[in-house]
Amino acid sequence: MIKVENLHHSYNNNDEYAVKDANFEIPEGEIFGFLGPSGAGKSTTQGILTGLLPLQKGIVTVAGYDVKTIKRKMFNKIGMSFEQSNVYSKMTAKENLDFYKKLFDVETRDSEELIKLVGLDGKENVRAGEFSKGMKHRLTFARSMINNPELWFLDEPTTGLDPAIAADIKDIIRQQNKKGVTIFLTTHNMFIADELCNRVAFIVDGEIKLIDSPKKLKLEYGEQLVEVEYQKNGDIATETFSTVLAEDKKRLQDVIAKYDIQSMHTKEATLEEIFIKVTGRGLA
Amino acid sequence: MKLWHSFKKEILLATRGFYFYVEIAMAGLFLFLLLFVIPENFDHRVDEYLFYDVPDSAWGYFESELLEMDEDGSVEVVEIELDKEIISGSLYQTEENNYYVLDEQKQAISLADSERAFAGVIHMDELGEVTYTYYMQGYETDRLRNIYAVFHNESMDVLESAFAAQDVQVLHEDQVLLSDRQNILPSFLTFNGSLMGMFILASYIFLDKKEGVIKAYAVTTSPVWQYLLSKVGVITLTSLVTSLIITIPVIGTQANYLGMFVFLLGTGFAASALGLVIASYFDDITHSFGVLFGLVILLMLPNIAYFIPTWDPIWMKYIPTYAMLEGFKEILLPGGDMSYILMASFGFFIAGLVLFLFANMRFKKTLTI
Repeated sequence: MIKVENLHHSYNNNDEYAVKDANFEIPEGEIFGFLGPSGAGKSTTQGILTGLLPLQKGIVTVAGYDVKTIKRKMFNKIGMSFEQSNVYSKMTAKENLDFYKKLFDVETRDSEELIKLVGLDGKENVRAGEFSKGMKHRLTFARSMINNPELWFLDEPTTGLDPAIAADIKDIIRQQNKKGVTIFLTTHNMFIADELCNRVAFIVDGEIKLIDSPKKLKLEYGEQLVEVEYQKNGDIATETFSTVLAEDKKRLQDVIAKYDIQSMHTKEATLEEIFIKVTGRGLA
Repeated sequence: MKLWHSFKKEILLATRGFYFYVEIAMAGLFLFLLLFVIPENFDHRVDEYLFYDVPDSAWGYFESELLEMDEDGSVEVVEIELDKEIISGSLYQTEENNYYVLDEQKQAISLADSERAFAGVIHMDELGEVTYTYYMQGYETDRLRNIYAVFHNESMDVLESAFAAQDVQVLHEDQVLLSDRQNILPSFLTFNGSLMGMFILASYIFLDKKEGVIKAYAVTTSPVWQYLLSKVGVITLTSLVTSLIITIPVIGTQANYLGMFVFLLGTGFAASALGLVIASYFDDITHSFGVLFGLVILLMLPNIAYFIPTWDPIWMKYIPTYAMLEGFKEILLPGGDMSYILMASFGFFIAGLVLFLFANMRFKKTLTI
C-alpha cells in the first residue's frame, strides 16, 4: 500500500535533512507504527506521503499513486487524522462532516453515524467552536473516515483524550483494520503502538533505525525473566528467575512447590525501553 | 461542483463571522454619510471682502456692476461677526464668489486677516483715477498676483481682444456632471469594493490558517485553487452587495449597473487575489499588518488626485486604484465610457489571474505540516 525508497527531505533545500534515506514498505491491511520523539521526522515523512509536502528526493508510492506527480483522486483512498484538530469552529459537527463528504468522489459515510461512533452523539448541531479540545480531536478523527479510506493516516490519534475515549478510539482503529484498512500510525506513545501495531519503525534525527514487529523486538531486546514474590518464614521474598537457564527453571519450580506465591510477572521489556536501547534516545 | 460546495461553505462561514458584518456596516455608514451628512453640492463660493473708497456719484457705477454679476440681481444686507462684534455689510453673490461690501477699510482688512480670505480696497481720487489695493494671504502663486497686476495695468480692450482670440472648442456638447455627492461615490466604491475586499480576504485566510483547515482541505480530492477561488467568490459577492447598497439610493437608475457588475468582478478578483498573495506570506494578521497598512495607504493615494485634479502626477496613474476611480466614475456618469469600463475590467481580471496563480503556487508550497 505504501512503498518508500531512499526518501530525503530538507526544509532548507540543503544537506540538512529532516528525513534521511528512509526506506520501508507497508503491505495492505497492516497497522504500521511510525515512532519517534518530537522533531524526529515523523510528521515530515507523513506530510510527504499525504502530499502536504513536496517530494524532493526518493521514490514514494501511496495507494498505487506516485507521489511525485500526485493525482487528486488519490485522496479518495486516503484518510488523514491530524494531531492538531482542524475543523471549522463556526460550523456544527454535522455541517463540518457534511461539507467534507462533498469533497470526495467515492461513496461516503453518514455524518451522524460517524459523530455517534466517536461518542459525540447529541452534539451534531453544536458548533465545533464550543467543543472541548478532546471533542474537536474526535471530530477530526471522525472526519478522516468520511470517505471510507483504504489507507488511513493517524497522527497521535489518542493525544489529549481521556482513557475511556482513547480506548474507544483504539477499538475503532482495530475495527477499521479488521475491515482491511491499512493504517499508518504516527505517535510518540509506545503503549498505543504496542497495543495496535503489527510493525513499528523507530525514527530518530530523520533516520529510520529499525523496523520490526513489537513481539519480535521484545523477544530480541527484552530479558526473558520472571519476577516472583512469595512468603518465606513470614516475610515477603522477591526473586528473579531466567526462563532460559535450566538451573533457574528448576529453582522456580521449587519455589512454586514450596512457598505461597504472592505475585509472578514476566520481565518483558517495554517498547519504550527497546527504543531507548536501540536509538540511545528517549521519546520525550 | 466541489467549487460550488466550497463557495456555499464560505458563504455560511462569512455570515457567521465578524468581517461580513463589518463590510455591511461600513456600506451602511457610507450610505448614511452620503445621504445625511454630505450635501448634494458643496458651496464652492469664495468669500471676498471689499471696501469702496469712492465718491457717492461713482458708487452707482460700481454697484451696478456688482448687481449685474449677482445671481438674483439684488443686494442682501447681512450681519458679519468681527472681533466679537456684529457689523453689517452688503452681500452680492455670484456663481463663484460671495462679495461682502463693507463700510470701512479696516473692517475689510480685519476680515481678510481673521477669515483668511481675500480683501480689496477700491479707491478713486479727485481726478477719477481708480486704485486697487489687494490684501492676500501670502501663499498665492505668482501667476495669480501677475494676473491682478496685468488686469489693472493693461487696457481692458487689449485683454478683451486677447480673450476673444482664444480658440475654445467644446468637446462634449451635452456633458453631464455628477453632483458633489455622486462624485464622492467612486471613492467609497473603490475603498469598499476593493481595499476592504483585500483586507477581509486576508483575514479569512488567517482565520483558516489558525484553525488549520487548509491542511484538511488539501487532503481531499478538491484542489487548493478551488478553496482559494471560493473565498474570492464570497468577497466579490459581498462587494457587489455592499456596492449596490451604497449606489442604488444615491444614484438611482442613472448608473450603468451591467458595467458596474463587470467592473466589480474584475476589480474584486484582482484585490482579493492580492489579499491571497499577502496572506500566503504571513501566519497571522498581526504580522501582515505593516504590509497591509502600507498597501492600503499607497492604494488610497489616487483619492487625493481624484479630489484635487491639479495634483495628478504621472506615477499616480500606475497605481491600480487610479483606474478603479476612473472606472467607477464612468459607471456612474450617464453615457459613461463603456469601452473604458470593459478594458479596465479586463486588465484587472488579467492582473487578478496572475496574482491568483501565484498565490495558488504559494499556498501549495506553504502547506507545511
